[in-house]
Amino acid sequence: MHYDRHNPAAPDRDLLVLSKGHGVMALYACFRELGWIGDDDIRSYLHNGSRLRGLSESDIPGCEVTSGSLGHGLPVAVGMAFGLARLNSRRRVWCIVGDGEMNEGSMWEAMLFAAHRRLGNLTVIVDANGFQAMGRTDEVLSTEPLVAKFEAFGFATVECNGHDLPSLTAALTPHDAPRHAPRAVIARTVKGHGLSFAAADNRWHYTRLDDATRAAALEELR
Amino acid sequence: MRHALSPLLVEAADSDERFILLSGDHGYAVFDALRVHHPDVFVNVGVAEQSMIGIAAGLCQTGFRPCVYGLASFVPMRVLEQVKIDLCYGSLPVVILGDGAGLVYSILGASHQCGEDVACLRPLPHIAIYSPCDAHELRACWIEARENHTPSYLRIGKSHPDDIHSGAVQGTSPQIVHEATPGSAKAVIVATGAMVRSGLSFARAHGLRCISVPRLKPAPVELIPLLGDADRVAVLEEHASTGGLWSLCLEMLQATGTVPSPRVEAFGLRAMFTATAGDHQHALGEHGLDDEHLARRLAAWIGAERPLNERTGRN
Repeated sequence: MHYDRHNPAAPDRDLLVLSKGHGVMALYACFRELGWIGDDDIRSYLHNGSRLRGLSESDIPGCEVTSGSLGHGLPVAVGMAFGLARLNSRRRVWCIVGDGEMNEGSMWEAMLFAAHRRLGNLTVIVDANGFQAMGRTDEVLSTEPLVAKFEAFGFATVECNGHDLPSLTAALTPHDAPRHAPRAVIARTVKGHGLSFAAADNRWHYTRLDDATRAAALEELR
Repeated sequence: MRHALSPLLVEAADSDERFILLSGDHGYAVFDALRVHHPDVFVNVGVAEQSMIGIAAGLCQTGFRPCVYGLASFVPMRVLEQVKIDLCYGSLPVVILGDGAGLVYSILGASHQCGEDVACLRPLPHIAIYSPCDAHELRACWIEARENHTPSYLRIGKSHPDDIHSGAVQGTSPQIVHEATPGSAKAVIVATGAMVRSGLSFARAHGLRCISVPRLKPAPVELIPLLGDADRVAVLEEHASTGGLWSLCLEMLQATGTVPSPRVEAFGLRAMFTATAGDHQHALGEHGLDDEHLARRLAAWIGAERPLNERTGRN
């Protein structure tokens, strides 16, 4: 992905659209490393008056869209890709969606359009952790088989281990991707990966760390 | 009025390479000229209104100035949350054209009729709302909407063959379309959209001032001085009175501290779905707004007392 670490609004940047806006904390961590937000922002996260809220808001440098209400980011990303394609721009659009988010009909509407308009400058990354707010995706409203569905919708689709960097890198930067079809990467992930007490446990969709679990988490991640 | 839209779209495409028109598979002949002169500018996204709004937002963020078209029942009603989050939050300058507003699709029934769009949009931050009454007001509203740095909604209702205004309209402030004759009742008719025609007809017959209100948001506070010393105001709209122009008038009178405040009567759509098929006048009749009913109700309004059964029709 092309971006300017000194300027989150660089006009020639690729666009990263976080459609599953509740994953914004991962972006904040990256933005902190890039210096786009400061330590004060991190320390005041979710506190009264903090500009960092719990979902993606487009007024934060680096957040291209407001999302969290699901089913919004991908249509906007498709519009961006369509616009860039009309301008013959080399910029690309990367859109991270959730497998639970694929419940939303607007996602499939946008996919139809992306394939119909042959938007080869668009990559959709599905964070396929198998969970959504109220339970396992295959129990609530199954969106599988994701690979077959994306392929049927006209996307050049690959599946990978979303926690394995070489596998993920290879999936995101294919050498043989068709130029005139949107791409999809079905990244198989484990919710809470890296924390043994939280992995694949949906209670942590709602639970905050206390002093003890925070210490345990830091120990495991060390 | 609908016929007046087509040249506006062509003019926009002629003059602005950023202009792009998205339709959710609606519009048909409205886009004939645009498709001939600028085939690449017209984009039919399919029957997919939700993603259409998101796509418009994405196009806007890559430098385009999109206009999205749909029937008002679908755009903006069906996609209200997309309008809120995708357009209003970022204050993106996208123009929304909601055609067939009110009871235009009288024969098709409730799914295609729309009497609540203005009420739903008014609380949303940043969006401007227009409700032109004829081709001249449509042009003025279109020009302003295209110049806005925020989202705009143009509500397009029933087209009548004759224009209200005799020539070009400057700006979108309330317009006096008929002046009171000396000695007439201290009553003013205020109307928006297609109902201006009905209001004007009655105003001419009874020598009343009639005011058209093409811009509903930002609030048309210029209306209040135009009410003069009226002790009665009738508000006509092919929209629910609650949340529409009637509510807006009451809010503005309250906010401006107008004393004494005139009595403001609602002549809008009732809180009900139309029950039967029929032409536009028939559908309006179910709400007491067809020409015959409305003339009778307005006559009672300027009289000393209105029949009791007429008072119960408000939303």
